[in-house]
Amino acid sequence: MKTLLNKQQLKSAGIRVAGTLAIPVIVIAVLFIACAAGGKNMFPYDISFTNFIRGILTLMLTTIALSINLGSGRFDFSLGAMALLSSVIGAQIVMQTGGGAWVMLLFCLLSGAVLGAASGGLYVLLKLPPIITSLGVTLLYEGIAFAITGGANMRLLGTDTDSITNSVAIMIVFIVLFLAIIYFVFDNTKFGYNYKALKEGQKVSVNTGIKEIPNAIVCYTITGVLMSVVGFLNNTFTGTIQVSGLNFGSIGIMFGAFLPMFIGGFIGRFSNDKLGYFLAAVTMTLFSMMYSAFSLTNSVQSIISAVLLVLFLIYLSNEKLIKDIFTGKHLRDYLKRKKTPAGAEG
Amino acid sequence: MKKKTLAKIASVAMATTLAAGTVVGLAGCGNSKTKIGVLVADASGAEALGFQNYYTKYIEKNYDVDFIYSAELDTAEEEKAAIENFITTGCKAVISFASADRPAQIQQCQDAGIYYAVATGTLSETEYNGGEVAIDPTNPAAGTKKLPAAKDFKYYVGAIGPSLDVEYKAGYDMGKWAVEQFTASTSTAKHKFALHGAGVGYRLDMHVQRTAGILTALIMEGGASFTTKGEDGSDLSVNKFFGEDAVHGILLGYLYTNGTVNIADFSSDTMELVGYHQLWDFADTTWQQNLSNVVAANPEYVLCAGSGLDVYGQATNNTNVKIADVDSFTEAYGSAMQSGKVAYLAGKYSSSVGPIFAAVLNALNGAPIRTEKNEALALGQGYWVATSYADFTKYQNADTADAPIFNKSLLDTVICNVDAETNEVTNKVSYSTFKAFVEKDRTPN
Repeated sequence: MKTLLNKQQLKSAGIRVAGTLAIPVIVIAVLFIACAAGGKNMFPYDISFTNFIRGILTLMLTTIALSINLGSGRFDFSLGAMALLSSVIGAQIVMQTGGGAWVMLLFCLLSGAVLGAASGGLYVLLKLPPIITSLGVTLLYEGIAFAITGGANMRLLGTDTDSITNSVAIMIVFIVLFLAIIYFVFDNTKFGYNYKALKEGQKVSVNTGIKEIPNAIVCYTITGVLMSVVGFLNNTFTGTIQVSGLNFGSIGIMFGAFLPMFIGGFIGRFSNDKLGYFLAAVTMTLFSMMYSAFSLTNSVQSIISAVLLVLFLIYLSNEKLIKDIFTGKHLRDYLKRKKTPAGAEG
Repeated sequence: MKKKTLAKIASVAMATTLAAGTVVGLAGCGNSKTKIGVLVADASGAEALGFQNYYTKYIEKNYDVDFIYSAELDTAEEEKAAIENFITTGCKAVISFASADRPAQIQQCQDAGIYYAVATGTLSETEYNGGEVAIDPTNPAAGTKKLPAAKDFKYYVGAIGPSLDVEYKAGYDMGKWAVEQFTASTSTAKHKFALHGAGVGYRLDMHVQRTAGILTALIMEGGASFTTKGEDGSDLSVNKFFGEDAVHGILLGYLYTNGTVNIADFSSDTMELVGYHQLWDFADTTWQQNLSNVVAANPEYVLCAGSGLDVYGQATNNTNVKIADVDSFTEAYGSAMQSGKVAYLAGKYSSSVGPIFAAVLNALNGAPIRTEKNEALALGQGYWVATSYADFTKYQNADTADAPIFNKSLLDTVICNVDAETNEVTNKVSYSTFKAFVEKDRTPN
């Protein structure tokens, strides 16, 4: 009996590991084979690995930020605007005080938290559908960024702010740190339990005494913090903050996080969704490296990404059917139905 | 109750903020100044802000006009909507820095009976003279459409600025300069360089022309060759024996068709194209990786069709990679030239948009300047080129917001007078006078 239980546990663990690693391993294998066949190298220079790690970090944070509110039915268009405005504020302070990367990061984090909390506060206060509020917040934050800079792109040239974004070690520490913090906050605290309860059934949760408003504001605040890091990393890498994104010019950043969010959610069924977002970010960043290796144009990249997203959504919607087809159950059922005379079941 | 009040206050505050843009846009409605709408494709670049400062801080102060700026426009649909806004807010003229669909802009203003002018650019020959034009330049199978001759439109004032030929020449001069640097070098190894096509991916005419100019110069002056597809689909190796015009034309076809440059298509015994990059997807990992690849390939120069400092400024820190660019004489470029990061800059100066304003004002005053054949203006302006910090400061000091090159006293020499009582127009400006005024070389000595 004991042996049988161990076998079951072993099987369960095997399924969990396989489910968690299947997509990343398959994609990594396919991409490396494709590159080998095409004579391409996804990591032609030392700095390629730095870009890879930065890509993982920024995509992971964006995906988590998107999923926090979207998971609770709050569609938040303001992710890019929060990244933009927090960077503008951080950069302004650094340019005036002469601080370096850590000073800028600190002010980006602080302003990101404030901007996130303000966004959440408006949502709570206005009681409008979150999609509407987030559109307003997006315009507002884009407009403020535009007003602060006078409409001109900001250049960080000569400010010594690129030391974090070009450090593999620091960014790996950030990946571990943010994953650990998010895992702890959402899976091991009262706030996290309340968040999950609200996510599953808001009315019932509120009736049981869970306070929705503080929970939502904290969610938005965390989102602001995460996006401020994304903005910081991207903007200090290029040294140019593009503030021309008025009229929703900043919302594009969130769309790249949809596929990793769905992949992360799928992986989460077998292990943990946060780990899923990390693995999904690894997977999708490898795609980016492959696009670069093959010098694919933007339009081709967009088409591939869109096709992947649609295919994955089709898979998710028809998962049972696809599984039955592959295991032969679908065919067996069909044949069984065909053999059985009509009305015989009854 | 308290919550409801707070919610109301927040709603009002938000609505007020969202409406602020509209209010600002309509702010000039209440005065008697003549309103001129300005269409912009770039609202935040240093060059664009230089033009805006000249119009809003110098021209508005010295002439009885109000400039109403559009938001940043990317598409023909956005341009159309912006012009509709201008018309409803009472603008009497439109000056356009946006080029998604210039023929449509011209037609819209002609239909509405308001004057229209192109700043910092010119129309293509077909747009100006009329004729057949491809519906989709990247897809010949889509067929052609007929454009009317804009030159004959009553309300089309004309275009003043670097024509596409001037854009091509700006690129050619940069390519020629690079060849001279390589030739002057004592190194016998192949000289590595990279290209930044900027808006080639979007088929932006001026960036396509500049990139074609750079490559043409490398072929004509540096003896390189470029492989493209011939009419029958076979490989065609283009070299200097084809002649400059043919090389230019073939490269234009290549760039418009592919929207990119394949570095393997360039070959030379003395030069090596080690990287190509374009566009401005700053937050995209693929774009960042391409940028890093270009810099890591360690080119001596990155020859940029635009946005060179924005894209390569930080990425070239702690490297020997130098930037050659077409942009404007701004402070950031000054610092970059001083530090040696930027080695070559072809730039427009902010008040170079003064003459097109003068032409529009003449039209508004009832005395439009037309050619001898009664056609709209099509006049060219060139770039200033700085290859040292000394050159740069000389040019920068020559044209400032307070003391522009095209200052009031200079502009007044080509602006007619209108008698306030009789509305009679005097001091009408002839085409030849205006042409000489625009085309005069104003490069500081």
